[in-house]
Amino acid sequence: MATIGGKVMLEARGLSKHFGALAVTNGVSLSLAAGERHAIIGPNGAGKTTLFNLLSGELAPDVGSVIIDGTDVGRLPPDARARFGMSRSFQKNNLFAGLSVRENLGLAAMVGLGLSRCFWRSPMQDAEVVRRIEVTAGWVNLEGLLEADTGDLSYGARRQLEVGLALAERPKVLLLDEPTSGMSPEETVAMLDMLKELPGNLTMLIIEHDMDLVYGIAERITVLNYGEVVYEGTPEEVRASGEVRQIYLGDWADRDA
Amino acid sequence: MFRQDRVRSTLALALLVAGAVYAYSASYFGKELLAEIAVFAILAMSLDFLAGFAGLVTLGHAAFYGAGAYVYAVLTVNHGVAAGFAMLAAAAVCAIAGWLIGAVTYRVRGIFLIMATLAFGQMSYVYIFENRALGGDDGMSGVPRLDLSAIGIDLSNSANFAFTLVLIAGLTYVLFAWLLSSGFGQALVGMQRNEQRMRALGLPVLRYKAAAFAIAGAIAGMAGTLGAQHNMFVSPDYLHWTTSGLVLVLVILGGLESLAGPALGAAVVIALKHEISTYTVHWAFFIGVFLIVAVLAGGRGLYGLIDGVVRRFSRSKSPEPHDGDDRRQGDA
Amino acid sequence: MFLDIGFWGVQLLNALQFSMLLFLLSVGLTVIFGLMNFVNLAHGSLYALGAFAGWTLAHASGSYWVALAFAPLVTAVVGGLLYVTLIDRLRSAGPMNQVLVTFGLIFVLLDVFRFAWGDFALGIDAPSLLAGTISVGGEAYPVYRLFIIALGLFVMAALWLVLERTNVGAMIRAGVDNGDMAACLGMNVEGVFFVVFCVGCALAGLAGVVAAPILSVYPGMGIEFLIPTLIVVVIGGLGSLRGAIAGALLVGMLQTFGKVIAPHLASMMVYVLLAGVLILRPQGLFPAKSAG
Repeated sequence: MATIGGKVMLEARGLSKHFGALAVTNGVSLSLAAGERHAIIGPNGAGKTTLFNLLSGELAPDVGSVIIDGTDVGRLPPDARARFGMSRSFQKNNLFAGLSVRENLGLAAMVGLGLSRCFWRSPMQDAEVVRRIEVTAGWVNLEGLLEADTGDLSYGARRQLEVGLALAERPKVLLLDEPTSGMSPEETVAMLDMLKELPGNLTMLIIEHDMDLVYGIAERITVLNYGEVVYEGTPEEVRASGEVRQIYLGDWADRDA
Repeated sequence: MFRQDRVRSTLALALLVAGAVYAYSASYFGKELLAEIAVFAILAMSLDFLAGFAGLVTLGHAAFYGAGAYVYAVLTVNHGVAAGFAMLAAAAVCAIAGWLIGAVTYRVRGIFLIMATLAFGQMSYVYIFENRALGGDDGMSGVPRLDLSAIGIDLSNSANFAFTLVLIAGLTYVLFAWLLSSGFGQALVGMQRNEQRMRALGLPVLRYKAAAFAIAGAIAGMAGTLGAQHNMFVSPDYLHWTTSGLVLVLVILGGLESLAGPALGAAVVIALKHEISTYTVHWAFFIGVFLIVAVLAGGRGLYGLIDGVVRRFSRSKSPEPHDGDDRRQGDA
Repeated sequence: MFLDIGFWGVQLLNALQFSMLLFLLSVGLTVIFGLMNFVNLAHGSLYALGAFAGWTLAHASGSYWVALAFAPLVTAVVGGLLYVTLIDRLRSAGPMNQVLVTFGLIFVLLDVFRFAWGDFALGIDAPSLLAGTISVGGEAYPVYRLFIIALGLFVMAALWLVLERTNVGAMIRAGVDNGDMAACLGMNVEGVFFVVFCVGCALAGLAGVVAAPILSVYPGMGIEFLIPTLIVVVIGGLGSLRGAIAGALLVGMLQTFGKVIAPHLASMMVYVLLAGVLILRPQGLFPAKSAG
């Protein structure tokens, strides 16, 4: 596991978003160091995906700023933030249907390498692209399925590809929105192992409901409720915290890891 | 993705060869028809590039065609500019117009884009129609053809002219095929398949949509200059929504997102249109019916039929891995 | 000229009358759009059909009122037939294919009109009851145009009442807001779709027969009016009555006053407005759908 401390890679300062009178996100602040694995948990409706949308640029905040590796990206659209090193996976699979895994990763790699501006080369033949496709496929355990069509993949494999697309860009900061949603227990364990194997310098922010995965990967945990940060700490602190148990873990109070 | 496809390349080559041969063997009327087909083939390929591959379905494409024709006509007839330069200027004007349209509509998708482009196309038609300086309803005549006498070719000869147009159509196909195989082209197709994902991956969508419109517009404008040279006359009808509709029919009937299909569609539909016109003035009725039938039949138009037949034939000889090539997901 | 109340009064009434026609055409289109997520591009052709049917009925019966009463019925029936035979069949193929089919229908209907009624412009006389003029600030203003405004307002009020105060209206609004959920709650979504579609077509036909005495009736009239209607729908926002009203008023006022104040720029202004809305607020002014 990477060490905490050192350069701040992703920072959110006082993010707020209102829809009418409803504060969906209220004064949320976060700070992730380079290489940190940080989880966001909270009950349904706590505003976790909204927070991701504010971080990635799909939504513009009413107040607050988002800083990636020292640069304030608050005014920038999602594609610009991606170019600053932020990448995200989606809660619902957002793949390129009808194409193979190789072509999916190839598109992501191509954009990441800046080859989408190229008018004269075929990127799928490019050595850099091919290498990146294969390395990324290795990271998400899809090396054997490169030629498969997305339609032929199992749901779990598609979730892996979903993460793979975000990784193919070689981001500095990776936002994962419920990567194991809809997965079976075995697939979830495989996902956890996969996430643990990712490069140590990758900063990761992950929304999850599966507590095994959260405790397995996270170095720090932020607990969200009603759009506000109600607790932040290490897994041990969160597990021991009475307030967190109150609002979220509830009946799980007796559960010992 | 745009894969180098045997069927596609063979079809394109076959059309090219057939066109070249027909240019010198057909009757006078046949040559005129061939020239018109070639012009519409170029126009249809440019719309397929925009609507089929980049996923930007528009009902105002004829506006670029007409704009190109008028810029060419005004420059050559009113200002005596050399035809070659006039063609380049027309393409440039259409590229800029295309860029603007693409940029203005980048947040607009599907049916909204169709409505917006229909409106902008009609706006262009009305502007030309009401413009007395451009001949208004009567248009402009006396439009000259390109002068290739320097290399010994006389384009007033219909065989030469038709042949040249077929050649240009062939070059247009090659241009688009090459463009679509490049990183840029693949990014466009990726954007068509999943725009949100491409944006999340870092693609500046506005720039790509504007560029796609600019390229398609420039080629359509160039087709316009060729149409103007063919008829030796321009009129507001070049920009009318029925022309936009006709080009869309060519693309859909020929096969959306196939590049070679629309060229075949142009050959078939334009020839049919002329056939039908000898019997009745109501050819628009049949164009509409063709479109409805093509859509109801699903599939990928004539190209899809050919491709399907070839696959079935080659699969009966040796088993081939299934080439999953589903259409775009979700809403258009 | 600028201080002539009569002149500006007339222009205002002209703008309102044009807005009413736009409203009648766009409200059907936008609610159908909001409910079924597809745009019937042949809507303009149904408007033309209303005018042509009205012409035939008026000349056959000698009464404009007969035309006014039955032309919308004709277009509703034709619309219903088109729906059942073509449009409904394409529901699974997606909205894009439905739109393309309706575009093909424009061509088909265009030639049907030319075949049945010829290429030349036809006219209907306004009924004698409404044939006179009224004095507006010193200018003589046709009563018939006031009738159009009154009719438009009446339809506006009737639609508002149905949508806001009746069960059917609630079902329609539910369907526009979230069709899947409404179906899950047991609403007969298919039935509502069909009824709304036919009513929309009837309104298009009504607009046609109402417009016939003041505009000329010719085969291409449908597409000419379709364009401003589409602009109204895009600007107003899809699916809402309020959007149709706002859009129709905006476009109507801009076109009419624009022609008077800056005639050369008039036709462009509405397209500049369209471009502006597309860039700044592509969902339109009053979209009915909630997020999702």
